[in-house]
Amino acid sequence: MYLPDFDYYAPESVQEASGLLAQYGPKAKFLAGGTDVLHMMKEGLIAPEVLVSTKNLARLKEIYYETGKGVVIGALATHNNLVNSPVLQESYLSICETAHHMANNQVRNTGTIGGNIVNAVPSADLPPILIALGARVTLVSASGQRTLNLEDFFTGPRKTVIKEDEILTQIIIPDNSFTGSTYHKFGLRRSGALAVVGVAVAVTMEGDVCREARIALGAVAPTPVRAVKAEEMLKDQVITDQLLEEVGRCATSESKPISDIRGSAEYRLDMVRVFTKRMLRKAINEGHI
Amino acid sequence: MQTIIDKNGVKHYMITLNVNGDSYTKVVKGNTLLVNMLRDTLDLTGTKKGCELGNCGSCTVLMDGKPVDSCMVLAVEADEREITTIEGLAQNEELDKLQESFVNNAAVQCGYCTPGMIMSAKALLTSNPHPSEQEVREAIAGNLCRCTGYVNIVKAVLATADKK
Amino acid sequence: MSDNYAVIGKSVPKMDGRVKVTGQAKYTGDLKFPNMLVGKILTSPHAHARILSIDTSEAERLPGVKAIITHEDVPSLKYGISPARWDENIFCIDKVRFVGDKVAAVAAIDEETVYKALKLIKVEYEVLPAVFDPIEALREGAPQVHDEYPGNINTEIHQNFGDVEKAFAEAYHVRTDQFMGQRSYQSPIEPHSAISFWDGGKLTVYASTQSPHYFQYYIAREFGLKMGDVRVIKTFVGGGFGGKLEPTGLEFAGAALSRITGRPVKMFYDRHEMFAHNRGRHKQIMKITTGVDKDGKILGVHADFVMDGGAYTSLGVASAYYAGAMLPLTYEFDNFKFDMFRAYTNLPACGAQRGHGAPQPRYAFECHLDKVAQDLGIDPIELRLRNARRPNTVTPNEFQVNSCELSACIEKGREISGWNEKKGKLPKGRGMGIAVGSFVSGAGYPIYRTDLPQASAIIKVHEDGSAATLYTGATDIGQGSDTILCQMAAEAMGYHYENMKIVSADTETTPHDFGAYASRQTLMSGAAVKEAGEEVKKQVLELAAVILEKDVADLDCSEGWIFSLSDPEVGKPFGEVAREFFVKKGPLVGRGSYTPPKLGGKFKGAAVGTSPAYSFCSQISEVQIDEETGEIEVKEVWDVHDCGKVINPALLHAQVHGALYMGMGESIWEEVLFDKNGKVANGNLGEYKLPTALDMPKITSALVDSYEPSAPWGVKEVGEGATIPTMGCFANAINDAMGVTVHSLPLTYEKVWRALKEKREQESENKE
Repeated sequence: MYLPDFDYYAPESVQEASGLLAQYGPKAKFLAGGTDVLHMMKEGLIAPEVLVSTKNLARLKEIYYETGKGVVIGALATHNNLVNSPVLQESYLSICETAHHMANNQVRNTGTIGGNIVNAVPSADLPPILIALGARVTLVSASGQRTLNLEDFFTGPRKTVIKEDEILTQIIIPDNSFTGSTYHKFGLRRSGALAVVGVAVAVTMEGDVCREARIALGAVAPTPVRAVKAEEMLKDQVITDQLLEEVGRCATSESKPISDIRGSAEYRLDMVRVFTKRMLRKAINEGHI
Repeated sequence: MQTIIDKNGVKHYMITLNVNGDSYTKVVKGNTLLVNMLRDTLDLTGTKKGCELGNCGSCTVLMDGKPVDSCMVLAVEADEREITTIEGLAQNEELDKLQESFVNNAAVQCGYCTPGMIMSAKALLTSNPHPSEQEVREAIAGNLCRCTGYVNIVKAVLATADKK
Repeated sequence: MSDNYAVIGKSVPKMDGRVKVTGQAKYTGDLKFPNMLVGKILTSPHAHARILSIDTSEAERLPGVKAIITHEDVPSLKYGISPARWDENIFCIDKVRFVGDKVAAVAAIDEETVYKALKLIKVEYEVLPAVFDPIEALREGAPQVHDEYPGNINTEIHQNFGDVEKAFAEAYHVRTDQFMGQRSYQSPIEPHSAISFWDGGKLTVYASTQSPHYFQYYIAREFGLKMGDVRVIKTFVGGGFGGKLEPTGLEFAGAALSRITGRPVKMFYDRHEMFAHNRGRHKQIMKITTGVDKDGKILGVHADFVMDGGAYTSLGVASAYYAGAMLPLTYEFDNFKFDMFRAYTNLPACGAQRGHGAPQPRYAFECHLDKVAQDLGIDPIELRLRNARRPNTVTPNEFQVNSCELSACIEKGREISGWNEKKGKLPKGRGMGIAVGSFVSGAGYPIYRTDLPQASAIIKVHEDGSAATLYTGATDIGQGSDTILCQMAAEAMGYHYENMKIVSADTETTPHDFGAYASRQTLMSGAAVKEAGEEVKKQVLELAAVILEKDVADLDCSEGWIFSLSDPEVGKPFGEVAREFFVKKGPLVGRGSYTPPKLGGKFKGAAVGTSPAYSFCSQISEVQIDEETGEIEVKEVWDVHDCGKVINPALLHAQVHGALYMGMGESIWEEVLFDKNGKVANGNLGEYKLPTALDMPKITSALVDSYEPSAPWGVKEVGEGATIPTMGCFANAINDAMGVTVHSLPLTYEKVWRALKEKREQESENKE
């Protein structure tokens, strides 16, 4: 396999990078870890004439807590950076665990959280857990910046609201009262498998009562989706197995999976039911895990 | 990184990488992959191409100590980085303990996955000298082997860890 | 038959271990020659289409392109590895028959230029209706893949031994089950690769091959060359598993491109092209009927199979015969009927994959027998013990079985797995299953009809006796034949293994051997090596007798030391005597060859399945099923093998691990899938799921003692045996755990989920 020809730039600042993206428009692609962009180029699916590299934008790798803002994850943090981050291990181990089960070790050393989000593959693993935790994303261009909820970022398979000259710089988990969160990637083998169904939950428990729940599903719709009706069923309820089973069924009705080589729609729907109830139970009992 | 434009208008880039302790300055195109640069330009054919899409791990090298699939890394992205390939493990004539362990534990059959496998294991043992079996399997899960069922490979890595 | 051997039986480290762990080992793709070009093949995007025109003009103008060839530039002689069916051309002439079929080839100065040139070749096709299912293909009116094979029948088999109808009529219980085995692919981690160059009229090909001989034979035939003018050299090979036994378009096109350009040409397939080229395991639809007496003793079996052969024959004729022929090996019954149709379809060709035709029928038979056991209320192990073949018996299809320790394998498996303690007493969702298998230790007859010996070997002792070189055509593709053959050479000579060198698998320098397939080398190549070593030893002892003034019958040699049996103080180093031999008589050389006895019956296809010896094994697995998701977790697998004398225990168990691993992959995850246009849909290692290190269970590989009289030191095969029972073993374990049988491979989570769902729905229906 070979890559088509392209010009390569390695800008030294986000402003410069944004300028290049504006200059070249649809002819340019942003290159972070490359695990998706280079893959698509080798398969002949895209042929950008310009690649704008993030190689020199080291600031965007940082993960830290900012008072008043929340946990800030730089978009260029690799998946293994997420796994090993003391800040995330402390506050949101569920994000570390999610990253830990992605692809394989080699890919986790180059692939980035920003790439995983912007590529917007419906089976991506990080968007569901981030959405469940109420994540927001910051988009920066030469003309300014904006921050929006991650769940409003996706519009379709490989489609987002990001503009041609915008760069995703940060993922923010705002301060919240969640007592637990978790994600399960249901794949066909234990490594190097895309999610057939991905279920993320975040809950706020007060004793036996669930005050708030967020359920985000991946791989069962053109974009990650929140099962809002299922979430409603949990509000201010005492948690029982029966309730969780019903919530699982409700979440099923809010997913629209397709049948493909990895699984049938029918199977995926039932797996939404099973894993929604299991992950809720896990987040309720075990915290952020 | 200097850019040179040839008479057809095609851009070439001058990069310097440190490979196995030696510095190399080469002129490459944007679309030159690290794996091809290592194999074709530097004649380091120990790193293999098995799938070219980052699925099999036979092209695994260490970049600044971390295992990566070199078929999915542009040579220009590796500018100023430290690359370690399988050829960089043995010190003169002496095999690295991990290499010896692979030989002594029948962890090598056809050998095609072996360089990548050893690089992944080497990185693991460097950062985690006494890994559990689960940790070993996680470290090599991105290295596909068709011959061994991983049985003796895991055994060889754990045996090396025990010796340290 | 003493077990006191100096070299064999020891787990010496592999000869090529060091070069492989240092990255020094050169595989074909690693080689470079001065002035070398790179070449690739242009393949068809259509499953079935007439070629109307090929325009290479624009591609030829691309700077760096040195040659482009089509069917007009190469011999049009049809070829194929099965002499019964020469149905392939180097490039398609009138039509393409599958997505991936060969249309043209390009040689250029580098890889990038080749890829660009391929895109510039313009081919005009007239798309034809295609057929993708073997049952469809056999029906009236289906698109015809080859005009010469009407009805798309590639191979038709009807074998009948004894009287199954009578057996069924007299049986206490008769049962029929149908199963489907999937198309899977060997997917060696090293892609196919070949480098060709000419020197006057002589062609040299470096190839990633399992058999330099078959490559040499078929390439010589295709180009009208004398075999002596074709040299095929095996480099290190990154796995073959059956897929590298026949020359591919890379060898043929590479030779043509090299002749035209006058330069070495390196050709290769990328991973997608590997999947499209395929020659992996056939999809099989298998209907099995068995009649038993009230004790579960098998009286007769009818195997009624259909195989999807894809667009060409490859090794498929043999695969078709093996599918049925191997069934009676494990159990004793006299009445056996085998019907088979191998159909052509517009999909990549299927060939031989580890176990060659036998694993899926074994899955079908073993699952089926478990059901018979269930019907009769007999424990599955007990049923197998009642039917297990014994040594020195003959199968209904006239295979002579000498050594056979199948019962011992089953009993040992039962013991080490804790079967009696666990079966029926495991927690919900957990189950155990057993399956058995058997395989040939080399095929009794070579692939094409010839009287050539199966194997031959030469040993040359170095002039000063400090080393001995074994020359053998036997092919080490990773399994370790170089190592064990050197062990056998050293043992036979009475020499040091550590001083052995080896030159192997080069048709110009090494003596003839058919190569690595059908698990033949330990027995067959080993027999030739043993003979060669004994000839060296004889010459050395004869001279030593003179030097030591002893009777030659009083002398023996071991580990490089010649000694007198009656007076052990008297002796001489082997090396010293060897040097003396060279000084006095010239090169100290030993030669050996091996031809199996005439084996098998006289009926059509009788040759396939014959072998001088058969291995036997049992496999037991313990699985955990997630009742809600169908997820299968294999907790542990026990394999017990009867493989005769073990030359190198470490390498032997490594083979069991690997064979079981491949069986496991095909059991749960692997399947080559196609889109509706016949294009491979998952031709990459992300979607074609090989098990990773995290997916493997605990494996115990055990042995039972056995000795094969027809083999050197009593050896038998092991390389393919452990792939055969795995699918049946897991299916039976799943059935034990959840009470559902999955009737098609692979046994995916979704299929288990569906079977459980259907079972629940059936049960609630029954309640109403």
